[in-house]
Amino acid sequence: MERDELISKKVSDTLIRAASNFREDQKKVYEKAIKEETNPSTKWVLESLLENSEVAQKNSSPLCDDTGIPHLFLEVGKNKKVSGEFLESIQQGIAEGLQKLPGRPMAIKGNDIERLEQSGGLDVDPGAVSPAPIIIKPVEENVIRLYILMQGGGPEIRGKTYRVFHQHKLEVIIDEIVKWTIDEVSKLGCTPCIPAIGIGRTHFEATSLMIEAMIRGNFNKQSDIEKEITNNINMSNIGPLGLKGNNTALATFVNVGPQRASGVRIVSLRLCCCVEPRVASVLL
Amino acid sequence: MKAINTPITEYMIENLSVGQIITVSGQILTGRDAVLPKLVALIENDKHKELGIELKGSVIFHTAVSPAGVGPTSSNKLDIERSIPELAKAGVKIHLGKGALKPSTLESLYKNNSVYAIIPPITALLSSKIIKKEIVAFGEEGMEALHLLTVKEFPMIIAAAHGKTLY
Repeated sequence: MERDELISKKVSDTLIRAASNFREDQKKVYEKAIKEETNPSTKWVLESLLENSEVAQKNSSPLCDDTGIPHLFLEVGKNKKVSGEFLESIQQGIAEGLQKLPGRPMAIKGNDIERLEQSGGLDVDPGAVSPAPIIIKPVEENVIRLYILMQGGGPEIRGKTYRVFHQHKLEVIIDEIVKWTIDEVSKLGCTPCIPAIGIGRTHFEATSLMIEAMIRGNFNKQSDIEKEITNNINMSNIGPLGLKGNNTALATFVNVGPQRASGVRIVSLRLCCCVEPRVASVLL
Repeated sequence: MKAINTPITEYMIENLSVGQIITVSGQILTGRDAVLPKLVALIENDKHKELGIELKGSVIFHTAVSPAGVGPTSSNKLDIERSIPELAKAGVKIHLGKGALKPSTLESLYKNNSVYAIIPPITALLSSKIIKKEIVAFGEEGMEALHLLTVKEFPMIIAAAHGKTLY
Protein backbone atom coordinates (compact mmCIF):
# COMPACT_ATOMS: atom_id res chain seq x y z
CA MET A 1 0.00 0.00 0.00
CA GLU A 2 1.33 3.47 -0.92
CA ARG A 3 1.96 5.88 1.97
CA ASP A 4 -0.94 8.16 0.98
CA GLU A 5 -3.30 5.16 0.75
CA LEU A 6 -2.13 3.95 4.16
CA ILE A 7 -2.84 7.38 5.66
CA SER A 8 -6.31 7.47 4.09
CA LYS A 9 -7.07 3.98 5.45
CA LYS A 10 -5.96 4.95 8.97
CA VAL A 11 -8.07 8.12 8.82
CA SER A 12 -11.10 6.22 7.50
CA ASP A 13 -10.87 3.64 10.31
CA THR A 14 -10.48 6.38 12.92
CA LEU A 15 -13.57 8.23 11.68
CA ILE A 16 -15.61 5.02 11.97
CA ARG A 17 -14.27 4.47 15.49
CA ALA A 18 -15.18 8.04 16.51
CA ALA A 19 -18.74 7.63 15.21
CA SER A 20 -19.42 4.19 16.66
CA ASN A 21 -17.58 3.94 19.99
CA PHE A 22 -18.00 5.27 23.50
CA ARG A 23 -14.66 6.05 25.12
CA GLU A 24 -13.68 3.93 28.16
CA ASP A 25 -14.11 6.88 30.58
CA GLN A 26 -17.51 7.58 28.96
CA LYS A 27 -18.67 3.97 29.56
CA LYS A 28 -17.58 4.21 33.20
CA VAL A 29 -19.48 7.43 33.82
CA TYR A 30 -22.64 5.88 32.31
CA GLU A 31 -22.25 2.76 34.47
CA LYS A 32 -21.94 4.95 37.57
CA ALA A 33 -25.01 7.02 36.62
CA ILE A 34 -27.07 3.86 35.98
CA LYS A 35 -26.08 2.44 39.37
CA GLU A 36 -27.10 5.64 41.16
CA GLU A 37 -30.34 6.25 39.26
CA THR A 38 -33.53 5.27 41.10
CA ASN A 39 -36.23 6.41 38.64
CA PRO A 40 -37.04 3.39 36.38
CA SER A 41 -37.72 5.48 33.24
CA THR A 42 -34.50 7.44 33.63
CA LYS A 43 -32.56 4.25 34.33
CA TRP A 44 -34.03 2.76 31.14
CA VAL A 45 -32.82 5.79 29.11
CA LEU A 46 -29.27 5.51 30.47
CA GLU A 47 -29.19 1.72 30.03
CA SER A 48 -30.48 2.07 26.45
CA LEU A 49 -27.76 4.58 25.62
CA LEU A 50 -25.05 2.29 26.97
CA GLU A 51 -26.53 -0.77 25.21
CA ASN A 52 -26.77 1.28 22.00
CA SER A 53 -23.05 2.05 22.26
CA GLU A 54 -22.23 -1.65 22.70
CA VAL A 55 -24.22 -2.60 19.57
CA ALA A 56 -22.72 0.29 17.58
CA GLN A 57 -19.20 -0.70 18.63
CA LYS A 58 -19.81 -4.37 17.77
CA ASN A 59 -21.20 -3.52 14.31
CA SER A 60 -18.96 -0.46 13.66
CA SER A 61 -22.23 1.35 12.93
CA PRO A 62 -23.32 4.88 13.90
CA LEU A 63 -24.16 5.66 17.52
CA CYS A 64 -26.66 8.23 16.24
CA ASP A 65 -28.22 8.74 12.80
CA ASP A 66 -26.89 12.30 12.85
CA THR A 67 -23.37 11.09 12.18
CA GLY A 68 -22.16 14.68 12.36
CA ILE A 69 -19.78 17.00 10.57
CA PRO A 70 -16.15 15.81 10.80
CA HIS A 71 -13.84 18.18 12.69
CA LEU A 72 -10.09 17.57 12.52
CA PHE A 73 -7.42 18.48 15.06
CA LEU A 74 -3.84 17.74 14.04
CA GLU A 75 -0.90 17.67 16.47
CA VAL A 76 2.47 18.10 14.77
CA GLY A 77 5.79 17.39 16.53
CA LYS A 78 8.90 19.58 16.15
CA ASN A 79 10.66 17.43 13.53
CA LYS A 80 7.58 16.45 11.56
CA LYS A 81 6.41 17.92 8.28
CA VAL A 82 2.90 18.32 6.93
CA SER A 83 2.53 18.76 3.18
CA GLY A 84 -0.43 19.60 0.99
CA GLU A 85 -0.36 16.01 -0.29
CA PHE A 86 -0.54 14.72 3.29
CA LEU A 87 -3.57 16.90 4.03
CA GLU A 88 -5.17 15.66 0.81
CA SER A 89 -4.72 12.04 1.98
CA ILE A 90 -6.46 12.96 5.24
CA GLN A 91 -9.38 14.50 3.32
CA GLN A 92 -9.59 11.37 1.17
CA GLY A 93 -9.68 9.20 4.30
CA ILE A 94 -12.51 11.29 5.73
CA ALA A 95 -14.61 10.80 2.59
CA GLU A 96 -13.88 7.06 2.57
CA GLY A 97 -14.75 6.74 6.26
CA LEU A 98 -18.07 8.51 5.73
CA GLN A 99 -18.90 6.21 2.83
CA LYS A 100 -18.01 3.09 4.77
CA LEU A 101 -19.70 4.02 8.10
CA PRO A 102 -22.07 5.05 6.38
CA GLY A 103 -22.45 8.68 7.35
CA ARG A 104 -25.73 10.48 6.83
CA PRO A 105 -25.83 11.88 3.27
CA MET A 106 -26.57 15.46 4.29
CA ALA A 107 -24.39 17.62 2.03
CA ILE A 108 -26.48 20.31 0.34
CA LYS A 109 -25.85 20.90 -3.34
CA GLY A 110 -25.95 24.15 -5.26
CA ASN A 111 -24.78 27.77 -5.20
CA ASP A 112 -24.72 30.02 -2.12
CA ILE A 113 -28.44 30.75 -2.22
CA GLU A 114 -29.43 27.16 -2.97
CA ARG A 115 -27.28 25.90 -0.12
CA LEU A 116 -28.69 28.47 2.28
CA GLU A 117 -32.30 27.76 1.33
CA GLN A 118 -31.70 24.00 0.93
CA SER A 119 -33.30 24.24 -2.49
CA GLY A 120 -30.51 22.61 -4.52
CA GLY A 121 -31.15 19.08 -3.35
CA LEU A 122 -29.04 16.72 -1.27
CA ASP A 123 -25.96 14.86 -2.42
CA VAL A 124 -26.62 11.12 -2.07
CA ASP A 125 -22.92 10.46 -1.37
CA PRO A 126 -22.17 10.40 2.40
CA GLY A 127 -18.56 11.22 1.46
CA ALA A 128 -19.67 14.60 0.08
CA VAL A 129 -20.04 15.93 3.64
CA SER A 130 -16.88 18.02 3.77
CA PRO A 131 -14.99 18.41 7.06
CA ALA A 132 -14.74 21.74 8.88
CA PRO A 133 -11.41 23.64 8.54
CA ILE A 134 -8.59 21.68 10.18
CA ILE A 135 -6.93 22.93 13.39
CA ILE A 136 -3.15 22.38 13.52
CA LYS A 137 -1.22 22.63 16.79
CA PRO A 138 2.53 22.18 17.40
CA VAL A 139 3.35 19.72 20.22
CA GLU A 140 6.53 18.69 22.09
CA GLU A 141 5.99 14.99 21.38
CA ASN A 142 7.65 14.01 18.09
CA VAL A 143 4.52 12.67 16.40
CA ILE A 144 1.77 13.53 13.96
CA ARG A 145 -1.50 12.69 15.69
CA LEU A 146 -4.90 13.31 14.17
CA TYR A 147 -8.06 13.62 16.24
CA ILE A 148 -11.40 13.25 14.45
CA LEU A 149 -14.54 14.62 16.08
CA MET A 150 -18.04 14.03 14.72
CA GLN A 151 -20.22 17.00 15.59
CA GLY A 152 -24.00 16.50 15.62
CA GLY A 153 -26.57 19.16 14.77
CA GLY A 154 -28.56 19.34 18.04
CA PRO A 155 -25.59 20.61 20.09
CA GLU A 156 -24.89 23.19 17.38
CA ILE A 157 -28.40 24.62 17.81
CA ARG A 158 -27.89 24.90 21.58
CA GLY A 159 -24.29 26.15 21.52
CA LYS A 160 -23.22 29.75 22.04
CA THR A 161 -20.06 31.84 21.69
CA TYR A 162 -20.37 35.18 23.40
CA ARG A 163 -18.66 37.61 25.75
CA VAL A 164 -18.80 37.61 29.50
CA PHE A 165 -17.91 40.69 31.57
CA HIS A 166 -16.04 38.80 34.28
CA GLN A 167 -15.79 41.52 36.99
CA HIS A 168 -12.54 39.81 38.05
CA LYS A 169 -14.47 36.92 39.58
CA LEU A 170 -14.47 33.31 38.36
CA GLU A 171 -17.95 32.89 39.81
CA VAL A 172 -19.36 35.43 37.36
CA ILE A 173 -18.08 33.38 34.41
CA ILE A 174 -19.28 30.09 35.90
CA ASP A 175 -22.73 31.52 36.67
CA GLU A 176 -23.07 32.76 33.09
CA ILE A 177 -22.09 29.36 31.63
CA VAL A 178 -24.57 27.59 33.92
CA LYS A 179 -27.31 30.06 32.96
CA TRP A 180 -26.67 29.58 29.22
CA THR A 181 -26.78 25.81 29.72
CA ILE A 182 -29.98 25.71 31.76
CA ASP A 183 -31.69 28.06 29.28
CA GLU A 184 -31.04 25.60 26.44
CA VAL A 185 -30.58 22.11 27.80
CA SER A 186 -34.23 21.05 28.06
CA LYS A 187 -34.66 21.97 24.38
CA LEU A 188 -31.61 19.87 23.47
CA GLY A 189 -33.58 16.77 24.40
CA CYS A 190 -30.62 14.39 24.13
CA THR A 191 -29.50 14.70 27.73
CA PRO A 192 -27.45 13.97 29.78
CA CYS A 193 -25.27 16.60 28.15
CA ILE A 194 -21.55 17.27 28.44
CA PRO A 195 -20.84 21.01 28.20
CA ALA A 196 -17.60 21.61 26.28
CA ILE A 197 -16.21 25.07 26.98
CA GLY A 198 -13.38 27.14 25.55
CA ILE A 199 -12.46 30.50 27.09
CA GLY A 200 -10.20 32.78 25.07
CA ARG A 201 -9.62 36.26 23.62
CA THR A 202 -11.56 36.05 20.37
CA HIS A 203 -14.52 34.09 19.07
CA PHE A 204 -12.26 31.98 16.83
CA GLU A 205 -9.83 31.24 19.66
CA ALA A 206 -12.59 30.37 22.15
CA THR A 207 -14.21 28.01 19.64
CA SER A 208 -10.86 26.31 18.89
CA LEU A 209 -10.29 25.89 22.62
CA MET A 210 -13.77 24.38 22.96
CA ILE A 211 -12.94 21.82 20.25
CA GLU A 212 -9.71 21.00 22.10
CA ALA A 213 -11.68 20.63 25.36
CA MET A 214 -13.66 17.82 23.71
CA ILE A 215 -10.37 16.05 22.95
CA ARG A 216 -8.55 16.59 26.25
CA GLY A 217 -11.52 16.33 28.63
CA ASN A 218 -11.84 13.23 30.78
CA PHE A 219 -15.08 12.08 32.41
CA ASN A 220 -13.19 10.64 35.37
CA LYS A 221 -10.67 13.45 35.92
CA GLN A 222 -12.62 16.62 36.51
CA SER A 223 -11.06 19.93 37.66
CA ASP A 224 -12.68 22.00 40.41
CA ILE A 225 -14.14 24.38 37.79
CA GLU A 226 -15.56 21.46 35.79
CA LYS A 227 -17.06 19.86 38.92
CA GLU A 228 -18.67 23.14 39.98
CA ILE A 229 -20.29 23.70 36.57
CA THR A 230 -21.59 20.10 36.45
CA ASN A 231 -22.99 20.31 39.99
CA ASN A 232 -24.70 23.63 39.35
CA ILE A 233 -26.28 22.37 36.10
CA ASN A 234 -27.49 19.23 37.86
CA MET A 235 -29.37 21.34 40.39
CA SER A 236 -31.74 22.20 37.52
CA ASN A 237 -33.42 18.76 37.87
CA ILE A 238 -33.92 18.42 34.09
CA GLY A 239 -32.38 14.96 33.85
CA PRO A 240 -31.92 12.48 31.00
CA LEU A 241 -34.31 13.29 28.13
CA GLY A 242 -36.03 15.78 30.47
CA LEU A 243 -37.25 13.02 32.81
CA LYS A 244 -35.90 14.88 35.90
CA GLY A 245 -33.15 13.73 38.25
CA ASN A 246 -29.52 14.47 38.98
CA ASN A 247 -27.99 13.55 35.63
CA THR A 248 -28.62 16.60 33.44
CA ALA A 249 -24.85 16.80 32.81
CA LEU A 250 -22.49 13.84 33.17
CA ALA A 251 -19.34 15.96 33.22
CA THR A 252 -17.96 19.26 31.93
CA PHE A 253 -14.89 19.79 29.75
CA VAL A 254 -13.25 23.21 30.18
CA ASN A 255 -10.21 24.57 28.33
CA VAL A 256 -8.89 27.97 29.46
CA GLY A 257 -6.59 29.65 26.94
CA PRO A 258 -4.56 32.87 27.05
CA GLN A 259 -6.57 35.87 28.20
CA ARG A 260 -6.65 39.55 27.20
CA ALA A 261 -6.04 42.46 29.62
CA SER A 262 -9.68 43.45 29.59
CA GLY A 263 -12.94 43.11 31.51
CA VAL A 264 -14.15 40.67 28.87
CA ARG A 265 -13.72 36.93 28.37
CA ILE A 266 -14.97 35.18 25.23
CA VAL A 267 -16.71 31.94 26.14
CA SER A 268 -17.60 29.24 23.63
CA LEU A 269 -20.09 26.68 24.95
CA ARG A 270 -21.21 23.54 23.12
CA LEU A 271 -23.75 21.32 24.83
CA CYS A 272 -22.49 17.96 23.65
CA CYS A 273 -25.38 15.49 23.57
CA CYS A 274 -25.58 12.10 25.29
CA VAL A 275 -23.60 10.25 22.57
CA GLU A 276 -20.84 12.86 22.43
CA PRO A 277 -18.03 13.79 22.39
CA ARG A 278 -17.53 11.40 19.48
CA VAL A 279 -13.77 11.53 19.10
CA ALA A 280 -10.96 9.14 18.20
CA SER A 281 -7.29 9.65 17.43
CA VAL A 282 -4.59 8.04 15.31
CA LEU A 283 -0.83 8.41 14.83
CA LEU A 284 -0.02 9.11 11.18
CA MET B 1 -43.54 -1.79 29.16
CA LYS B 2 -46.96 -1.30 27.55
CA ALA B 3 -47.12 -2.51 23.91
CA ILE B 4 -49.48 -0.98 21.36
CA ASN B 5 -50.01 -1.40 17.64
CA THR B 6 -50.87 1.09 14.93
CA PRO B 7 -53.32 2.52 14.03
CA ILE B 8 -53.60 4.36 17.34
CA THR B 9 -57.16 4.73 18.62
CA GLU B 10 -58.65 7.47 20.80
CA TYR B 11 -59.03 4.86 23.54
CA MET B 12 -55.33 3.91 23.41
CA ILE B 13 -54.37 7.57 23.86
CA GLU B 14 -56.71 7.95 26.83
CA ASN B 15 -54.81 5.15 28.55
CA LEU B 16 -51.36 6.69 28.18
CA SER B 17 -49.75 8.78 30.90
CA VAL B 18 -46.74 11.07 31.15
CA GLY B 19 -43.50 9.25 32.00
CA GLN B 20 -44.81 5.89 30.79
CA ILE B 21 -42.53 3.79 28.55
CA ILE B 22 -44.35 2.10 25.68
CA THR B 23 -43.49 0.21 22.51
CA VAL B 24 -45.22 0.78 19.19
CA SER B 25 -45.40 -1.83 16.43
CA GLY B 26 -46.83 -1.35 12.96
CA GLN B 27 -46.47 1.53 10.53
CA ILE B 28 -45.07 4.92 11.40
CA LEU B 29 -44.49 7.95 9.21
CA THR B 30 -41.32 10.03 9.37
CA GLY B 31 -40.84 13.70 8.61
CA ARG B 32 -38.85 16.68 9.77
CA ASP B 33 -37.96 20.29 8.85
CA ALA B 34 -38.14 19.94 5.07
CA VAL B 35 -41.26 17.88 4.66
CA LEU B 36 -43.68 18.56 7.52
CA PRO B 37 -44.53 22.12 6.34
CA LYS B 38 -45.24 20.63 2.89
CA LEU B 39 -47.52 18.01 4.43
CA VAL B 40 -49.34 20.71 6.40
CA ALA B 41 -49.83 22.72 3.17
CA LEU B 42 -51.43 19.65 1.57
CA ILE B 43 -53.74 19.21 4.57
CA GLU B 44 -54.77 22.86 4.41
CA ASN B 45 -55.66 22.41 0.73
CA ASP B 46 -57.37 19.09 1.42
CA LYS B 47 -54.97 17.29 -0.89
CA HIS B 48 -53.19 15.01 1.58
CA LYS B 49 -55.47 12.05 0.76
CA GLU B 50 -53.85 11.96 -2.69
CA LEU B 51 -50.67 10.67 -0.98
CA GLY B 52 -52.47 7.41 -0.18
CA ILE B 53 -51.66 7.54 3.52
CA GLU B 54 -53.99 7.70 6.49
CA LEU B 55 -53.15 10.40 9.02
CA LYS B 56 -55.97 9.44 11.39
CA GLY B 57 -54.48 7.22 14.09
CA SER B 58 -50.95 7.69 12.77
CA VAL B 59 -47.55 8.17 14.39
CA ILE B 60 -45.05 10.70 12.98
CA PHE B 61 -41.42 10.28 13.98
CA HIS B 62 -39.30 13.43 13.64
CA THR B 63 -36.31 11.86 11.96
CA ALA B 64 -34.41 11.58 8.72
CA VAL B 65 -34.24 8.13 7.13
CA SER B 66 -30.84 7.40 5.71
CA PRO B 67 -28.32 4.56 5.41
CA ALA B 68 -26.99 5.83 8.77
CA GLY B 69 -30.31 4.83 10.36
CA VAL B 70 -32.96 6.80 12.24
CA GLY B 71 -32.91 8.87 15.41
CA PRO B 72 -34.85 11.78 16.83
CA THR B 73 -34.20 15.33 15.70
CA SER B 74 -35.22 18.33 17.86
CA SER B 75 -39.01 18.60 17.66
CA ASN B 76 -38.76 22.24 18.76
CA LYS B 77 -37.09 23.29 15.50
CA LEU B 78 -39.33 25.99 14.02
CA ASP B 79 -40.57 24.10 10.94
CA ILE B 80 -41.30 20.96 12.94
CA GLU B 81 -42.96 22.44 16.01
CA ARG B 82 -45.29 24.72 14.08
CA SER B 83 -46.54 21.76 12.02
CA ILE B 84 -47.63 19.81 15.13
CA PRO B 85 -50.99 21.55 15.84
CA GLU B 86 -52.27 21.07 12.27
CA LEU B 87 -51.07 17.46 12.15
CA ALA B 88 -52.73 16.71 15.50
CA LYS B 89 -55.96 18.22 14.14
CA ALA B 90 -55.64 15.95 11.08
CA GLY B 91 -55.53 12.89 13.32
CA VAL B 92 -51.84 12.22 14.06
CA LYS B 93 -51.94 10.61 17.50
CA ILE B 94 -48.28 10.26 18.48
CA HIS B 95 -45.66 12.90 17.61
CA LEU B 96 -42.29 11.29 18.32
CA GLY B 97 -39.10 13.31 18.70
CA LYS B 98 -37.04 14.97 21.38
CA GLY B 99 -36.74 18.21 23.37
CA ALA B 100 -39.16 20.50 25.19
CA LEU B 101 -42.10 21.98 23.27
CA LYS B 102 -43.90 25.31 23.82
CA PRO B 103 -47.00 25.38 26.06
CA SER B 104 -49.15 26.44 23.07
CA THR B 105 -48.04 23.33 21.12
CA LEU B 106 -48.79 21.09 24.09
CA GLU B 107 -52.21 22.72 24.40
CA SER B 108 -52.98 21.84 20.77
CA LEU B 109 -52.08 18.20 21.49
CA TYR B 110 -54.41 18.18 24.50
CA LYS B 111 -57.29 19.60 22.45
CA ASN B 112 -56.89 16.86 19.82
CA ASN B 113 -56.32 13.92 22.19
CA SER B 114 -52.83 13.52 20.77
CA VAL B 115 -49.57 12.89 22.65
CA TYR B 116 -45.91 13.85 22.39
CA ALA B 117 -43.40 11.05 22.92
CA ILE B 118 -39.63 11.13 23.13
CA ILE B 119 -36.95 8.62 22.30
CA PRO B 120 -33.21 8.56 23.07
CA PRO B 121 -30.78 8.65 20.13
CA ILE B 122 -30.37 4.85 20.03
CA THR B 123 -29.82 4.45 16.30
CA ALA B 124 -27.85 1.21 16.54
CA LEU B 125 -30.60 -0.45 18.61
CA LEU B 126 -33.42 0.86 16.41
CA SER B 127 -31.89 -0.53 13.22
CA SER B 128 -32.93 -4.06 14.23
CA LYS B 129 -36.51 -2.90 14.84
CA ILE B 130 -37.15 -1.55 11.34
CA ILE B 131 -38.69 -4.22 9.11
CA LYS B 132 -39.37 -2.11 6.03
CA LYS B 133 -38.91 1.48 4.83
CA GLU B 134 -40.40 3.20 1.82
CA ILE B 135 -40.72 6.74 0.51
CA VAL B 136 -44.32 7.98 0.46
CA ALA B 137 -43.87 11.52 -0.89
CA PHE B 138 -41.44 14.37 -1.51
CA GLY B 139 -38.66 12.05 -2.66
CA GLU B 140 -36.68 15.09 -3.83
CA GLU B 141 -35.90 15.79 -0.17
CA GLY B 142 -33.73 12.67 0.03
CA MET B 143 -33.27 11.52 3.63
CA GLU B 144 -35.83 14.16 4.67
CA ALA B 145 -38.60 12.74 2.41
CA LEU B 146 -41.86 11.51 3.95
CA HIS B 147 -41.15 7.85 4.70
CA LEU B 148 -43.33 5.03 5.94
CA LEU B 149 -41.54 2.62 8.26
CA THR B 150 -42.82 -0.76 9.35
CA VAL B 151 -41.43 -1.26 12.83
CA LYS B 152 -41.46 -3.82 15.59
CA GLU B 153 -41.52 -2.71 19.24
CA PHE B 154 -40.20 0.82 18.83
CA PRO B 155 -39.62 2.09 22.39
CA MET B 156 -40.66 5.60 23.49
CA ILE B 157 -41.55 7.61 26.59
CA ILE B 158 -44.73 9.68 26.82
CA ALA B 159 -43.59 13.27 27.44
CA ALA B 160 -46.92 15.11 27.14
CA ALA B 161 -50.47 13.77 27.37
CA HIS B 162 -53.87 15.00 28.54
CA GLY B 163 -52.60 18.48 29.43
CA LYS B 164 -49.72 17.17 31.55
CA THR B 165 -46.07 17.31 30.55
CA LEU B 166 -42.57 16.46 31.67
CA TYR B 167 -41.47 19.99 30.93
